[in-house]
Amino acid sequence: MDTSTPTSSSSTRRHRRTRRGLALAAVTVLLAGVTAACGGGSDADSGDDGGPITLTVATFNEFGYEDLLTEYMDLHPDIKVVQKKTGTWEEHRDNLYTKLAAGSGLSDVEAIEGDGMPAILEEADGFVDLSDPEVDGRWLDWKQAAGTTTDGRLIGYGTDIGPEGICYRADLFEKAGLPSDRDEVAPLFESWDSYFETGKEFVATMPDTAWYDASKGVSQAMINQLEFPFEQEDGTIVATTNPEVRDVFDTVTSMQAAGLATNLDQWSDDWVAAFQKDGFATMACPGWMLGVIQGNAEGVEGWDIANAFPGGGGNWGGSFLTVPAQSEHPEEAKALAAWLTAPEQQLKAFEAKGTFPSQVDALDDPVLTDQVNEFFNDAPTGEILSDRAQAVTVQPFKGPKYADIIAAFQNAVLRVDQGQASPDESWDTFVSDVERLG
Amino acid sequence: MPSTTQLTWRQRLSRWDVRVSPYLYVAPFFVLFLLVGMFPLLYTGWVSVHDWSLLGGKGDFVGVDNYTKVFGDQYFWVALRNTVSIFLLSSVPQVLLALVVAGLLDNELRGKVLWRMSVLVPFVVAPAAVALIFGNLFGDKYGLVNAVLGVVGIDPVRWHVDTLASHVAIASMVNWRWTGYNALILLASMQAVPRDLYESAALDGAGRVRQFLSVTIPMIRPTLIFVVITSTIGGLQIFTEPRLFDNVGLGGSDRQWQTVTLYLWELGWRIRDLGTASAVAWLLFGFITAFALLNLVLGRRLSHLHGHAHGRGLGRRRR
Amino acid sequence: MTRRPGFLVYGLLTAFVLGSAMPLWWSFVIGSHTKEIVNRDTPPLVPGGHFLSNAARVFDTVDFWKALSNSLIVSTVCAASVVFFCTLAGYAFAKLRFRGSTPLMVFVVATLAVPTQLGVIPLFILMADLGWTGTLAAVIVPTLVTAFGVFFMRQYLVDAIPDELIEAARVDGCSMIRVFWNVAVPAARPAAAILGLFTFMTVWTDFFWPMIALPASNPTVQIALQQLQSGYYVDYALVLCGAVLSTIPLLVLFVLTGRQLVAGIMQGAVKG
Repeated sequence: MDTSTPTSSSSTRRHRRTRRGLALAAVTVLLAGVTAACGGGSDADSGDDGGPITLTVATFNEFGYEDLLTEYMDLHPDIKVVQKKTGTWEEHRDNLYTKLAAGSGLSDVEAIEGDGMPAILEEADGFVDLSDPEVDGRWLDWKQAAGTTTDGRLIGYGTDIGPEGICYRADLFEKAGLPSDRDEVAPLFESWDSYFETGKEFVATMPDTAWYDASKGVSQAMINQLEFPFEQEDGTIVATTNPEVRDVFDTVTSMQAAGLATNLDQWSDDWVAAFQKDGFATMACPGWMLGVIQGNAEGVEGWDIANAFPGGGGNWGGSFLTVPAQSEHPEEAKALAAWLTAPEQQLKAFEAKGTFPSQVDALDDPVLTDQVNEFFNDAPTGEILSDRAQAVTVQPFKGPKYADIIAAFQNAVLRVDQGQASPDESWDTFVSDVERLG
Repeated sequence: MPSTTQLTWRQRLSRWDVRVSPYLYVAPFFVLFLLVGMFPLLYTGWVSVHDWSLLGGKGDFVGVDNYTKVFGDQYFWVALRNTVSIFLLSSVPQVLLALVVAGLLDNELRGKVLWRMSVLVPFVVAPAAVALIFGNLFGDKYGLVNAVLGVVGIDPVRWHVDTLASHVAIASMVNWRWTGYNALILLASMQAVPRDLYESAALDGAGRVRQFLSVTIPMIRPTLIFVVITSTIGGLQIFTEPRLFDNVGLGGSDRQWQTVTLYLWELGWRIRDLGTASAVAWLLFGFITAFALLNLVLGRRLSHLHGHAHGRGLGRRRR
Repeated sequence: MTRRPGFLVYGLLTAFVLGSAMPLWWSFVIGSHTKEIVNRDTPPLVPGGHFLSNAARVFDTVDFWKALSNSLIVSTVCAASVVFFCTLAGYAFAKLRFRGSTPLMVFVVATLAVPTQLGVIPLFILMADLGWTGTLAAVIVPTLVTAFGVFFMRQYLVDAIPDELIEAARVDGCSMIRVFWNVAVPAARPAAAILGLFTFMTVWTDFFWPMIALPASNPTVQIALQQLQSGYYVDYALVLCGAVLSTIPLLVLFVLTGRQLVAGIMQGAVKG
């Protein structure tokens, strides 16, 4: 080996005793120290011996519970409640599934989105049966049914629902020569036929603006008016053989061909930007969507909401509270969930975040019915949405695969929107996607 | 003769020191791996040979059925194609650009700290902000990139629709985040290159670029190999960027940018078939390992050769 | 001293740095406006005057101090531990001869290839069995020594320390650990600084595993940031203000470690 590199080892001459043992000790101490220090840093939430107990509540998006939880702690000084918020249901669900699969780590109260509830009901053993004479009849029948297993266990307490009206741009309607007053507009939205016909009229005069925001939204609304869109009660998947589903697909894709759609993916950045660019004139809007529109369309004037929905009523969204069997305080957690989903509390949540209550007694409460929304041209949104909730006549049956199938269905619609496939090709892909779901 | 015993005792101890120390030094990694790495790996393997639903748990033993199922699924191959394509579009330009940036930083710059730190900024930006920013840049209809392209007369690119365009967009997200990071790694080893090598090269009349190619690059080869291998492994496991590219997170309506890890995620968490997802994980693991080993073997050979060159010397490089 | 750069170098670097820093700057611009302005058709291009009021909202909405201190603990412990143990192991792999070193090194690299997404379930089961879920240990322990770090230090040290230097030290009668301390550690310093910085930042920005492993009451910064987002309509002014706040400690770290990164590398020994 070449030794041209100068070496200077003056600093290495001093200590010659072996330090191997010392190094080993250091390693051990460091490892042990770290673990011990971290173990100590945990937040103890065990509530044995009658001390105060901590309950955790995991929600996604906005449930409007912040003030309610403070109120609950004031009412129950021996209970501390901590809320874990996640941005979207999808992220919340990934976390929830991971912990269900691992068998521990869930919060004492876990929120479940309506479309995700059927899959949860399949795993009912992982959750506490919340049936209680006190809460019987608290919710709209279909809401309660959606939180109940086939053998009658109540797994989820309903929080909110999403009765849909149609939000529209009155200013653009006016430009297109259509009526713009919300009472005059409502009849145009009576049926899907009239809705689409008006749309064709609209785009004929306003070629730069689409009629509705996203084909995904329209197709979801139409699917939700079918009684058994994708699955039968016995679990048979009929999604690809049900002629009604194919009808929805054909209608939506033909309306796309007629130029009614923005061809944008719902919730995408382009979709958000379209609110500012007069990208479209109407959209399906459940109560919780009002805040979304107001936020995205900041500075845009002319939004209004009509007390009508094509084909009767429709529901989009709404959630449940569940208590996982893993919870160490199932009784306290159940009491908290029951309190949170009582009509009085849900009305407060509605005031805070606009989540429309699913409780029968809340529906005719003045807090709800008197609500007026300034952004939507002072529309009586409380009254309108209340009416829309009554108009919901058909509740689609949602089996455990519902959420996955509708996602595949919406992708099929989007492929046509984006020109990646002809309607027939896209449908074939949908068929094989559904087969893959098993 | 006490001094002799003393000496042998010392010698013995010293020999023992030489023999045992290396194992002690590498032990922490392996102990920790046994603790937190091995169990997940074996567990995943165990799951992959069973019918295993994410929520329902373990079912029957099915042998290699899950693996054959994956091989028979056309979407797996689509995902593999996408992964390789995005990987090539990201890793190659990334390593080259990182080399250039590191070469630029390896100068007597004014305000060195500031320059070096600035290239690392993308790495500290929170994921939420990254998704937001790139969403704004690569919008199909109202995005900034398309607006700029429009100014120079190029038709808007459909970033979320066309397969190759989506790969380019995702790769640029990756490159943006990781180039500075790799540049700093390369810079660290460039700094260890003895400056007299440059001086003698300069005496021989080699210009800046020539010095970089014939002195710097050979001298930092081991680190370069490191960068290539880690960016290969990272590139083949790419997850966050394609997941954040739309709000559904499964790789587009036609799976244009669904990578293998996204495919795995879809199988495990959407279809809730943990058995098949685990099979994909093991396949991916095998695939990447093979790839990395190939790299490493090639690299070892190169660095071995390089070691000789280093020993004999400067003469040759001076030629 | 001989390599004084020209305008071209500065020009190219400036372009690169501008591209790199633009998003952080942009986050600051958005984070300093009210949410009413942000969603307007033409978003603002210069900072507004609401950064402090947005910051106040961040601190009101989430327990940001606790999140900051948690993140500091986790990142610091991991960075220190990774630097120490990976330098040790990397040095052994690079410079010491021992039976099985090649297969062991290959094994280290192979562990890099394990897809992390699927590991979350078994890892969570493991952490729960150890009773660490919900505690910072669940986040710290998996990152105490990383394959990445071992590999990195090995590749760096292979050429950074001449074998003669080690031999000379041994001839002088230094024990193995002494050689490590007096020869390898000084030589490893620039790489160690980088590794420490990277580990700190990786842990700081990690989101996925902490979200699974930690409860809402004991968050890291990234999880706290998540609590600012409310799903389908996002208050970007608030979120990006939080994002900027979360990078401030990292910028401080930059300043502190900057000297180390620039410092003239090997203390006397190798530099010719």
